[in-house]
Amino acid sequence: LKDMSGPQACLRASEPTTTRPGPSLLVRARAGDAAAREELARTSGEAAFRLALQLVGDRELARDVAQDSVMRLFAALHRVDPERPLQPWLFSIVRHRVIDLRRRAQSRSERPLESASGAGSADEALARDLPDESPGPLERSERGELQRLMWSCLGRLDSAHREILVLRDYQDLSYREIAEVLAVPLGTVMSRLHAARRRLREEVLATGYRFGGGS
Amino acid sequence: MTGSFHDPGTVTPFPEELLSGYLDGALTQQEEQRVRLHLERSPEARAMLEELAALRQAARSTPFTPIEDRQWSEQPRTRATAIALWLGTGLLALCGLGIVVLVVWQATHAPSGTEMQRGLIWWAAGLWASGLGGALLVFLSVLGDRLSDRRHDRYRRVLK
Repeated sequence: LKDMSGPQACLRASEPTTTRPGPSLLVRARAGDAAAREELARTSGEAAFRLALQLVGDRELARDVAQDSVMRLFAALHRVDPERPLQPWLFSIVRHRVIDLRRRAQSRSERPLESASGAGSADEALARDLPDESPGPLERSERGELQRLMWSCLGRLDSAHREILVLRDYQDLSYREIAEVLAVPLGTVMSRLHAARRRLREEVLATGYRFGGGS
Repeated sequence: MTGSFHDPGTVTPFPEELLSGYLDGALTQQEEQRVRLHLERSPEARAMLEELAALRQAARSTPFTPIEDRQWSEQPRTRATAIALWLGTGLLALCGLGIVVLVVWQATHAPSGTEMQRGLIWWAAGLWASGLGGALLVFLSVLGDRLSDRRHDRYRRVLK
């Protein structure tokens, strides 16, 4: 296991793993404060990377998407309303970059992006050795198994299902924020999310996993 | 989406997506009440809700390997360096386009006469100016960022 005394130890597995840049940081960054710009680049970069990784399943691609998204965010910083949360804006940029990548991959007849997130890349993407607050080792290992299964099943969902699941269950966005990122009516969010959860459940069950008892 | 469940004792189909809304706390009081009643009567719906809750909990607690901190060191730090970078890149692109146009033009029209020669000289001068200007702006942008990095380096004092 990795040494957990470093900065990684700050990430608690049971907490939502997103960092949300606050409005004051945005105002200072827009005013040209170098330290604020650096902090904004770091926090938004981490959030963009995490979302891109969850959408494309490949660290290298996710890094490119995140870097490009942060550049675009900074280029349009003067248009961002500091009164509104920055995250939906940033996530819209990331989502559009991922859609561009998908289109490019399709036009080159490459393998679909989603196939990159198969079980082979799970060890690289998921940080197994971060602390988990589950009560006992058995529960921890069961949850870890389900997390790994879900990650590989997520790659088999279509992009619309995958992105809504990621935004709600992995990124912890509200329905309103999801509607903003996906540019869909609020009423569509619940039905699409439920359809996505159903599909994921079917995929997980198809692997032989049994809820409450593992595989 | 309307699911396969029915409110027991009625012919009204139960809108299954309400289970997800219930799980996320996104329903009105009336809808919540409807889901609670449905859950009391339908073991299938209870099982489905428990499984969806397990999936949601597993997703929420999935830890991902974070990206390296140094990843963002190539950010343009100020508006001036960002503008210089965009302008420089634009000029370099313009220069590239100019070269392509020149090559195509020369291939299709053999230059002859003083007017043509003079036009070519101006064209070449424009290409040189935009190429050099673009490269200079990109260089100044990177230099500006590097100097800014040195001023704002968090570890500068530690290293002294």
